[in-house]
Amino acid sequence: MNQKKIQLSDNQLKKTSNFMDWGKPHIYSKDFSVFYGSNEAIKQVHIKIPEKKVTAIIGPSGCGKSTFLRAINRMNDLIMGCYIKGKIFFDDEEIYGQYADPVLLRKRVGMVFQKPNPFPKSIFDNVAYGPKLHTSKRKSELYETVKRSLNRAALWDEVKERLNNNALSLSGGQQQRLCIARALAVDPEILLMDEPTSALDPRATGLIEDLIGELRGNYTIIIVTHNMQQAARVSDYTAFFYEGVLIEFAPTSELFTTPKEKKTEEYITGRFG
Amino acid sequence: MKTQIKKSIIVSKETSRLRRLVSFSTHGFLFIIASVSTIAVAFIIFFIAKEALPFFNLRGFKEFFTSIQWYPSASQPEFGALSIIYGSIIVTLLAALIAVPFAVLSAICLSDILSFSVRQIVKPVIEVIAAIPSVAFGFFALVVFAPILQRSGGHLLGVGVWLLGLPLNSIIAYLVSDILADKIFKKTTVALRTLIFILLECIIIFSLYKVYTIFDSITINSGTNILNVSVILAIMILPTIVSVSEDALQAVGKELRQGSYALGATRTETILKVVVPSAKSGIITGIILGIMRAVGETMVVWMASGNAAQIPQPWYNIFEPIRTLTATIAGDMGEADHVTGSARYHVLFAMALLLLVISFISNLISEWFVARSKKKMGI
Amino acid sequence: MKLQTRKVFDRSFTGIGLVSIFLLFVSLIVVLAPIFVKGMGAFVFKGTIEFRKFNYEKFGRGKKQKLDEEVKKTIEARKFVYDLITDFEKKIKNNEIPDSYKYERKKDELKELVKKLIGPFPGEPRPVLLRDQFGATRWDRTKVILNQVLNVEKWDYSNPDKMGKKVLVARKLEFEGTTLEKLFPYIEENLKQMMLPKLTFYWRFLTDKSFDAHFFGGIWAEVLGTLYLVLGTMLFAIPIGIISAIYLTEFAREGKVVSLLRTFISTLAGVPSIVFGLFGLAFFINTVKVSDSKSVLAGSLTLALLVLPTIIRASEEAIIAVPKTYKEAAFSLGASKIHTVLTVILPAALPGVLTGIVISMGRAAGETAPIIFTAAVSMGKPLKLVQTLTQPTPALPWNIYNLVTEHKAVEQIRHIQFGMVFTLVMLVLVLNMGAIIMRARISKKLRE
Repeated sequence: MNQKKIQLSDNQLKKTSNFMDWGKPHIYSKDFSVFYGSNEAIKQVHIKIPEKKVTAIIGPSGCGKSTFLRAINRMNDLIMGCYIKGKIFFDDEEIYGQYADPVLLRKRVGMVFQKPNPFPKSIFDNVAYGPKLHTSKRKSELYETVKRSLNRAALWDEVKERLNNNALSLSGGQQQRLCIARALAVDPEILLMDEPTSALDPRATGLIEDLIGELRGNYTIIIVTHNMQQAARVSDYTAFFYEGVLIEFAPTSELFTTPKEKKTEEYITGRFG
Repeated sequence: MKTQIKKSIIVSKETSRLRRLVSFSTHGFLFIIASVSTIAVAFIIFFIAKEALPFFNLRGFKEFFTSIQWYPSASQPEFGALSIIYGSIIVTLLAALIAVPFAVLSAICLSDILSFSVRQIVKPVIEVIAAIPSVAFGFFALVVFAPILQRSGGHLLGVGVWLLGLPLNSIIAYLVSDILADKIFKKTTVALRTLIFILLECIIIFSLYKVYTIFDSITINSGTNILNVSVILAIMILPTIVSVSEDALQAVGKELRQGSYALGATRTETILKVVVPSAKSGIITGIILGIMRAVGETMVVWMASGNAAQIPQPWYNIFEPIRTLTATIAGDMGEADHVTGSARYHVLFAMALLLLVISFISNLISEWFVARSKKKMGI
Repeated sequence: MKLQTRKVFDRSFTGIGLVSIFLLFVSLIVVLAPIFVKGMGAFVFKGTIEFRKFNYEKFGRGKKQKLDEEVKKTIEARKFVYDLITDFEKKIKNNEIPDSYKYERKKDELKELVKKLIGPFPGEPRPVLLRDQFGATRWDRTKVILNQVLNVEKWDYSNPDKMGKKVLVARKLEFEGTTLEKLFPYIEENLKQMMLPKLTFYWRFLTDKSFDAHFFGGIWAEVLGTLYLVLGTMLFAIPIGIISAIYLTEFAREGKVVSLLRTFISTLAGVPSIVFGLFGLAFFINTVKVSDSKSVLAGSLTLALLVLPTIIRASEEAIIAVPKTYKEAAFSLGASKIHTVLTVILPAALPGVLTGIVISMGRAAGETAPIIFTAAVSMGKPLKLVQTLTQPTPALPWNIYNLVTEHKAVEQIRHIQFGMVFTLVMLVLVLNMGAIIMRARISKKLRE
């Protein structure tokens, strides 16, 4: 362990040997870069994200943390002029491999976005959207799936009376939990969360954070956050990105108490960002 | 269910190939559907040109463009379309002449003067004018407007001269008197200014009276004439010019306006010296689109132009009936239809081809202006 | 310039601007007011006994008993007229009046006019033409004909320098000294008893077929034809338009091909409508031969091309306005592009797309030039749905033109013409109002 952390301080070495034995890696990237046109947004990142744990990604805005998150379920495919270099694996399979299928990938890697974005449909239809895509379930089975997902997202009790109401009639916090339920409904293994509480008030934020705590252990959760307190509260591991480079990746308690990198220390003590 | 035990994001080569094929073919299908408009334009050009060329083969270009002898059904038919082309041009120009000042002023008013709530009422009104079918305008022109014009067109014009001329000229007189007093006499006494103003006003009233008597004495032989059609066409093309110009004026940012106000300019000065010049391309685009609509309009001119293939004497006599390209196509096709293959049939396609060429050129010019204004704005 | 002058200039410029907006309103009102006022006259008017007779005979509307009573009353009132004229006829025949030959033609003219007013005389064989079987059905027409009965139009050429002038001379003078002299004051005084005008709401004007080339009845054939044309147009234009918009916004990569497509779409929007008509004739009918001659199908195809740019543009705008986050959410759940478009983007863009569709429906309903050579015919029965594939149809815009310019009795059926224009304008306005309201709702939603 010691040796590794010394290596981490050396940028050159970090690229070749970033190993952390914190359980089976669920997402594993090697020399992974993302480009927007000629701009390199993510620079040769090595990371092993452990399975069934909560991993937070922090860093100042524009550091590429969202880009990295979106690279995991290939949401960047939508952006014109965006391409990658290097490799990133999901359960030992190359995400950007020649025969990798984004649809199969996204079915197993769910995502929750910055702003709650329920479809302008009923609550039921929102949650049932994913299951309808991937399976041909009967109405009763579909209802069970929707109920289970809403339960897991701790929203069932609040909306069970009005499943046919428009999802946009819910409050912001409820909408975000609905989005989480929608993502859970397809039984993903990984849940990507892109600053899921940035558009919410403190109470709703608390509820979402509680929810993340409950989901821990069942899903691999990767959460991008602006808010260091949040990262400290909810995550098991924390990765610090700066200008597209992964500066440090460590158990959350370690990173926030004894950062090994000067940049990390400066960031968490509030000297920039 | 058994196959799902080993989950994988990798698909087999065949599936991958199949997916790519499906994606490619959906893409292709959508592209073909999206090309329908393009294909339609190409087909329109092709078929109109195909039917028009036999005419030029048969009769050449010279007669069509230079002769005013239009006797397509005579035993020795003559196909001189000059007077008809002239009819299209004069009607369009006069309509533009009437419409443009009103339209541009309305657009300025909409974008810079009226409050938001009033604009919410005015805009639907403009849309409604744009939506009224041309045959309804034609009906109005023929059944309502033409008899009025024939009965008391001269009086109407005379009254119009007073209503429009007096206030407009008085404002000009006021401004001129002010400038004169300021610049020439280097004095700004109220008395001097008032004196000059009264003097100018007298001249104006006198000349307006002269114009009025001229107009008032006009007797109009036929209510279906150039003036009738032009006025109605002007109303019809107003919405096009107003809405396109208004968009252009809106696109001139707040910053520019505020900059001008900050320098102490009045609203009018800001509009005339800053806003309108920056929106010039857009306004010109609107005018071109309006003119295109007037050239291509059929029903109004067919019903209310009198359909006389002649160049009026003198050429600017707007109380004479006229005939336009569109009306000729609409009116003569019925008779020419039965003798498909004759020059009489093909000459109508030649006219359509001419209309097409005009509309393409106008379209290109307007696109050029749009591109230019976009470049200017740095979009 | 002095500040004072600048301010005056500023204010007067504002004033001129407001005046031009005001003139915009005025021009709209000036055009629409006569169409609305007179157009309503086709639906609400004072109908005479002849109208009720016609309605009973052709449609079986009205109560027999009541009608019979009314007819009885009018016959009583008309008896004097009948007797006077038949008596006069007899006298001419028997040469009982001096210079009877002089009156022969004048009497015939008078009798024709009176027949126009109150219908054929009792005991006469039924006339062949429907228009001769009834008198004036509308009170306003009755008064016009009364005027013709009472006065003769003459031309005054006394001033050789000027054009001839129309003057009215009392017809009474033609029959001075004869028994017929009494006829004129009698008709003038007893016209109401002879015609029994009554306020009538004829809302079935829309759904009644026309009789005898629009002398009687409604405009169902035209209304139905217009509906067929609009629906047919939409059948072709909506799928093509929406798919084009989807391709341009969601699938195509910005580049030369797409900008070329866009240029052609705006070019298509600028093609004069009459050229569409010629193209429809030359392509759909003469080349592809979708039908032997004009048909609703050919007209719909032509109109579809005409409204295509409008639908594409409106749909494009609506699709672009859909928040990107919807798309992202659908993708993140593993939806394919097509699936995302169909289940998320299109439903969200629907109001905007509908606005464009509704506006183009108005346009398709009102366009005349493209259907002249491809679909419209002056006279015709209401079509059955199957016949639209092969047969032309009367349609409101075309028949307005036709009735105004080519009908034999233009003046006599003004109310029908105005009624048609009114119907068409209302149809288009209602569609556009719907679009305006829909758009207002969308923009309100976006602002929230």
